[in-house]
Amino acid sequence: MPLDVALQGRTYDEMPFVVEPERVRAFADAVSHRTGGVPPTFVTVAEHAAGVASVIADTELGLDFARVVHGEQEYEWHRSMRAGETLRVATTIESIRGRGAMEFLTLRTDLRDVDGALVATARSTLIVRGAS
Amino acid sequence: MTLRFEELAVGQAIPVSSRAVTREDVRAYADASGDRNPLHLDDEVARAAGFPGIIAHGMFTMGHLVSTLVDWVGDPDALRRIRVQFRAPVFVGETIVAGGTVRQLDPSDRTVVLDVWVSVERDGETEWPIRRSEAELRL
Repeated sequence: MPLDVALQGRTYDEMPFVVEPERVRAFADAVSHRTGGVPPTFVTVAEHAAGVASVIADTELGLDFARVVHGEQEYEWHRSMRAGETLRVATTIESIRGRGAMEFLTLRTDLRDVDGALVATARSTLIVRGAS
Repeated sequence: MTLRFEELAVGQAIPVSSRAVTREDVRAYADASGDRNPLHLDDEVARAAGFPGIIAHGMFTMGHLVSTLVDWVGDPDALRRIRVQFRAPVFVGETIVAGGTVRQLDPSDRTVVLDVWVSVERDGETEWPIRRSEAELRL
């Protein structure tokens, strides 16, 4: 079933995300980050834990994760994340577009610190294959 | 050591960096990132989707690209923005190569725009898991 374009603009509840030092170490090893600090693409962990989890759990959207491939990814960093800090993560469905048997779902996830200042923005475009 | 803006020239290539991709690497990335899409963990699901077996996360490949950039610059805080297109899958057992070229230099705010890419050799052809992509740094 195609994704409902009426859900464009939907923003999921903001969720807290702790930048756990152990998780940072495991992630740094996985991407061979060698310069210390939190790897820049650690943003993706918050994006998944908070944002994408909400999107997958959204029964109205009905996204079948097994049919999803990653089409595009964008990050904008305002400052580096700090191990141990808590971020507030909110994801919005920016757009839903269809092209033939494929649909393109673009999600924007904002990571803010406890003072509300923007730390990073992630934008993911997911390709849903074989939708009819 | 951090790269200096004055050392850079338009057209300059950054040092390429290659990495073999193992099944364990993909699993470690799935565990660390929380992205447990079965395409990255279950051969049967991946085959049903038309791949020969599990594929690496696009973000694993992007992570290698970003680590390559950060190694070159020497300072992760210099990275301002990156936008990548995932254009081909990466299979386990393959070696990904990340690189880039300086496209634009702006001395007024010391920003550097790079064209960035990741390639893989497959059956005698060069495939581009990441191409037509760009990164912006401020030095």
